[in-house]
Amino acid sequence: MTESTLTSQALEAGGTGEVMITLEGVEKWFDDFQALRGIDLVVGRQETVVICGPSGSGKSTLIRCVNRLEEHDRGRIVVDGTELSDDVRDIQEIRRETGMVFQSFNLFPHLTIMENITLAPRHVRHKPKKDAEETAMKLLERVKIPEQAHKYPGQLSGGQQQRAAIARTLAMEPKVILFDEPTSALDPEMIKEVLDTMEELAESGMTMMCVTHEMGFARAVADRVVFMSDGGIVEVNDPESLFTDPQEERTQLFLSQIL
Amino acid sequence: MATDTTPTSATATKPPVQKVTPATWLRENLFSNWWNSLLTVLFVPLIAWALWSIGRFLFVTGRWEIIIVNLTNLMVGDFPREQFWRLWVAMAILAAVGGLLVGVTAAAAREAAVITGRELDTSWRETARRLGPPVSFLVVMMLFVRTATPLLLLVGVIAIGVAGFVLGRRVPHDRRALVNLAVVAGVAGSLVVISGFGGVSRDSWGGLLITAYFTIGSLLLAFPIGVLVALGRRSTLPVVRWTTTVYVEFFRGSPLIALLFVGWLVLPFMFPPEWENITRISRALIIFTLFTSAYVAEIVRGGLQSIPRGQWEAAKSLGLSPWKQTRLIILPQALRNVIPALVGQGISLYKDTTLVLIIGLNDLLRVAQNITQQPQFLGQGLIAETLVFVSFIYWILSYWMSRESQRLEARLGVGTR
Ligand SMILES: Nc1ncnc2c1ncn2[C@@H]1O[C@H](COP(=O)(O)OP(=O)(O)OP(=O)(O)O)[C@@H](O)[C@H]1O
Ligand SMILES: [Mg+2]
Repeated sequence: MTESTLTSQALEAGGTGEVMITLEGVEKWFDDFQALRGIDLVVGRQETVVICGPSGSGKSTLIRCVNRLEEHDRGRIVVDGTELSDDVRDIQEIRRETGMVFQSFNLFPHLTIMENITLAPRHVRHKPKKDAEETAMKLLERVKIPEQAHKYPGQLSGGQQQRAAIARTLAMEPKVILFDEPTSALDPEMIKEVLDTMEELAESGMTMMCVTHEMGFARAVADRVVFMSDGGIVEVNDPESLFTDPQEERTQLFLSQIL
Repeated sequence: MATDTTPTSATATKPPVQKVTPATWLRENLFSNWWNSLLTVLFVPLIAWALWSIGRFLFVTGRWEIIIVNLTNLMVGDFPREQFWRLWVAMAILAAVGGLLVGVTAAAAREAAVITGRELDTSWRETARRLGPPVSFLVVMMLFVRTATPLLLLVGVIAIGVAGFVLGRRVPHDRRALVNLAVVAGVAGSLVVISGFGGVSRDSWGGLLITAYFTIGSLLLAFPIGVLVALGRRSTLPVVRWTTTVYVEFFRGSPLIALLFVGWLVLPFMFPPEWENITRISRALIIFTLFTSAYVAEIVRGGLQSIPRGQWEAAKSLGLSPWKQTRLIILPQALRNVIPALVGQGISLYKDTTLVLIIGLNDLLRVAQNITQQPQFLGQGLIAETLVFVSFIYWILSYWMSRESQRLEARLGVGTR
């Protein structure tokens, strides 16, 4: 695919008509094993892209390349005009602007929820403590757990922890948030509260790349769904078309298994 | 489903208690089969005899006069008597910062227990158990003191320590790091009080004083060095990695006694000649520090490895610089996990300081031997009394540290996350 078709694809699909993330011919090897093959993808500003696919297809690897938790071996990754290079300053720049929410929450267990949320604003953005705490309180209200501010992560339920982790990410005012199976470690009754938070985020205009198996969420919230298999993108389409009328055989097979 | 109406959860709150009569206790514990009965028959007299002889030695035949006369020597060696005020001031400073540190740690441990939902044992019995070792130490010391002044001063020092403790528990959460600074400043300050401003050169220190100096001094120096070396072993620069690895393997692979000898001989040549008066005490301190740093580094490295990868990833993804990832996220958790091991290292250092005997320093153990050579005690075979006394000092303080570290371990919930 050429850059222009990629771009127009993203712009048609929603968003604001501006490009936020560009992936061009991205390849990644773990030793001899190729985990990503020729990934071309453009994510528009304020767009929500859901990535799905079978286990081991490279979904996590793909989004982890965007903020350099994994290093890609070939191709280009550009986030909001900054190209990911070996220059530490570029990496730091992109990490400051890109939030990530993990399957296992990864809150810092030795800090209170408030400290978890204010840590990066204070130490990366050099915000005064008071400002950071005010913002944190607002964010906790937004994710509906203001009463947990002064507890430690270990005292919260899984769903509350994940919402605190989302608040921690939002505190950096990121331009993009990457989600790696944010609800997979949760009990069923807690999944909804996290998905609701994510839906609210998407509606507020956040640019999001979500790896998730929650097809209901994808249908309701995603602008586009990317289907991956064996390290490559098989099919990209709006959720309605992809789920009801998949073009590729592998997509059909996958959907028949999970739906 | 109403599971809460099942009878077991509502009524049976405690397992039934069976009454144990002395006869059944004896049968179950000492004579449950012929083999146990045989052991009981053999060992009860043996233990009784041992207790009897120990008791007789402690309370009847032991001639403790030598300790009473030499208590000051055992505590400080040849330290000039007219300069004692310096020691008391130093002890007051140390008691204050020590109390502060313990208070802060207690508050932190209490919080940790709340986080992990562990119940704290605050019964008076537990408190009595905790106070056991330090109180027995003080009581034994007091048995040998024949004048009022040191006792009064000691009470004062203890009061300052308790005040520090109470204050330490009230230090706000985000000021706790300052307490570490206070401890370092306090230790440095107490050193200056003793040896600065026309004070007493370290060469004339002795007894428990240099034992304490080596233990506290080396631990304080070895801690930051050990942490840096542990971080160095994870460095991306091969040179740093290799150097630190060689350092750790060298010091862990050499017997401390050999290192002390080598240090005693070699260190003077490694410093500029003007420094030739690098004292034997400083040489020993350097060796203890280098040796302990290597062990601290290994302990901390284990702690660093125990932190899940997700913690690094979360810290990275927030845009923290590598140094801040380490300092704010990884190290605090890693160090908390290895506190018990670090205390263990401290205890072993405390006991290892006795090795300075071989380079002729006047530490507690050597004073204990020397005083038996005094004219009025010579040839009376009093070495047993002096050795029992110093062993008691070594044991009771080690035991105290180890009990407290086990307690801390339980409170911090190390290994249970
Ligand atoms: N650090 C690594 N070293 C070696 N191989 C890896 C590593 N990380 C991932 N892989 C491999 O790369 C492939 C893609 O992994 P990835 O985690 O991206 O899959 P995924 O699509 O996220 O799967 P899942 O749904 O199970 O999370 C897998 O085959 C995996 O074994
Ligand atoms: Mg994955």
